[in-house]
Amino acid sequence: MADESRSGNLRVSSPVDDADRQVLVALGEGRLDALEALYDRYRAMAYAIALRITADPTLAEDVVQDAFLGVWRHAERYVEGRGSVKTWLLAIVHHRAIDAVRRRRPASELPDPELPTPSQLVTADVWPEVAGRLDAVEIRTALAGLSEVQREAIELAYWGGLSQTEIAARTGAPLGTVKSRMRLGLLALRRGLTGEPDDAARTGGTQA
Amino acid sequence: MKLICDEVLDLAPGFVLGALDATQMAAVREHLAECPEAHAEVEQLGSVVPYLDASLEQVEPPAGLGARLLEAAASQRPVMAGAAVQAAAAEAPTPTPAPVPSGSPIPFPEAAERDRRTDARRDRVGKWGLRIAAVLALVVLGGWNLQLQAHLSIVQADLAAAQAYQRGVAAVLDIGTRSGAQTAFLAAAKPELKSTGVAAAAPDGTVVMALHDLAPTAGNQVYEAWVIVGQNAPVPLGGFTVAADGTGVLKTTTSLAQPGAVLALSLEPAPGATAPAGPVVSAGSLVAPTS
Repeated sequence: MADESRSGNLRVSSPVDDADRQVLVALGEGRLDALEALYDRYRAMAYAIALRITADPTLAEDVVQDAFLGVWRHAERYVEGRGSVKTWLLAIVHHRAIDAVRRRRPASELPDPELPTPSQLVTADVWPEVAGRLDAVEIRTALAGLSEVQREAIELAYWGGLSQTEIAARTGAPLGTVKSRMRLGLLALRRGLTGEPDDAARTGGTQA
Repeated sequence: MKLICDEVLDLAPGFVLGALDATQMAAVREHLAECPEAHAEVEQLGSVVPYLDASLEQVEPPAGLGARLLEAAASQRPVMAGAAVQAAAAEAPTPTPAPVPSGSPIPFPEAAERDRRTDARRDRVGKWGLRIAAVLALVVLGGWNLQLQAHLSIVQADLAAAQAYQRGVAAVLDIGTRSGAQTAFLAAAKPELKSTGVAAAAPDGTVVMALHDLAPTAGNQVYEAWVIVGQNAPVPLGGFTVAADGTGVLKTTTSLAQPGAVLALSLEPAPGATAPAGPVVSAGSLVAPTS
């Protein structure tokens, strides 16, 4: 059922990961130097995410500070096996940034006040591969391989914090089309990143 | 069942991107707990999501943010984490307390004053107990009229504070009922303060303090606990911050908790004080229960 070769490809343990876990243990002990280490490692990624979503430097700063403080106070909430510390942390940043943006909108537009952190959703952890092999330019190249409407649907959802119903209203496309664009876009991005076709991997196909 | 599976597959892209409404999100999560087939689709789509973050060019935040974060973190140190830090610090040999800085600004209570405060303590503890009972009675009786509803939020805040304090007291009782343990009533340091509490010290050096009606800390402020043996200088026990509920609980260890030692709490402008610089808000002497 599960494809071992593909899973293995996506879940490589790395020294960064182990160091992060040690930092998290130290955080649980209330050590400020651990928080500083975590901040130094991920501040630029965290701020980039917050800035992309809020488009407001001051609000982005608040979001980043809130997210790190949340991790500081609740390091125990990290669940081993749900993904790396990095994925968890950046998911919290993303979640808080979306929250901050939604609070500025009329209440009727709010799709989900209790958006779960994406770490609850992302079970396959791809960060080690990202860190080890792919840089932002390569990922953007893969993103460029998506059709324009696919990319738009994904960006409105992920960076804009819109619900799929709102995206349909915004773009004038039927809801089913929006769902399909998001799905095909994500699969195309995955193909572009792993260099393997969707179905070949499942049937033990070549990995070129 | 098959239909529900199909629905989840249909919602999976919106789910991994966080683009569903609350009801749909909850329904998908519920379903995922049991259905491996739908889970595989969600996993495949979800595994791509972190790449979206990684597609961004990293942006250095303004230089001051790191310092502000650490300042805020220092004033929000989790109470139990503070205990762990103190436990580690207690392992280091600290036989003699630091010398008293000349012109120390802190008027720690004289023995006579401590006794006077102890007399007042029963009254204050009793009032707090009545307040808890009153709040509980209000909640249990129900039957709100409009006027009561107007006070609901205040009552709820009181109830949360009472519950937080009760949990702290339970921790104190847990220590204080051990064989050879000592206890202390912590009286307010000034007549206008209502900040009282209880503390207990076990023979192994574990100390738990629970206080209520503390003024919430702001900025870098932290409440620091001290133990004072005889005429020696106060030795820090650890700090904590206080939220709007006014409740403070500290669990720590010290080798200095002996009968007659004074436990005191001061409000410090910043964490990590080695000698008290802020006003004392509450204090009391450790005594071994008479059998």
